[in-house]
Amino acid sequence: MFHKLTHGVTCKEATQLVSKMLDRPLSFGQRVRLRLHLLVCAACSRFERQMRMLRLAMRKYRE
Amino acid sequence: MADPAFGDQINAHRGYLLRVAQLQLRDQDLAEDVVQETLVAALAGSGFSGKSSLKTWLTGILKHKIVDAIRHKQREPQAVASFGSLDAELDIDAFDALFGEKGGWDAPPADWGDPEESLNRHQFMEIMDFCLEKLPPNTARVFMMREVMELETEEICKELTITANNLWVILYRARMALRQCLEQNWFAGKGARD
Repeated sequence: MFHKLTHGVTCKEATQLVSKMLDRPLSFGQRVRLRLHLLVCAACSRFERQMRMLRLAMRKYRE
Repeated sequence: MADPAFGDQINAHRGYLLRVAQLQLRDQDLAEDVVQETLVAALAGSGFSGKSSLKTWLTGILKHKIVDAIRHKQREPQAVASFGSLDAELDIDAFDALFGEKGGWDAPPADWGDPEESLNRHQFMEIMDFCLEKLPPNTARVFMMREVMELETEEICKELTITANNLWVILYRARMALRQCLEQNWFAGKGARD
């Protein structure tokens, strides 16, 4: 089950979901699949942190 | 009317406002006009309560002026052509090279270390500027509307008459390109510089 779910999202798709998440809430299913993927994928977890930092940097751009 | 000191304080942010307007509009003359209007409105108005920073307040005024300018520009026939090139910036597969056939990373993101430390460096913001300049014009425009002006996606779609799907493709592309640019130009050389 776990295996199947994490494999439901590739890294490429995970990056797209992370970007979408910054603009509007994901559906429950998307959220679960993304979380499970991030649990087992260090590269995408890193990507997610970088996207959050990018947002902070843009906020800072203005302050 | 505001006192001269207030005028000086406002003028101190002129450079920043111009940079934001320039990135958004990609038109030096128009950017100058919009900033001028913003400064005039700021001096004339009494809306500054001191609750937010002066810069944030000015950005708020600039936001409205930019949206007006874009709206105005879209009514001009030749401007439609300039914004029509959006399609060329809509290729979601442009970042395919980053991923293998099965959708896994070919070149996984590097460790960026302590983000706080970077954000507090003046030089980091210069690299950020450089990376924003390198984005395709419309991509930068849309990204700035979302991240600096903090417009909601619905508002951006409405102002630019693009679909929600096109919008998320553009934002995704902007983020991917900026991430790559920052990694190459800031984080890669960071270890060596420190």
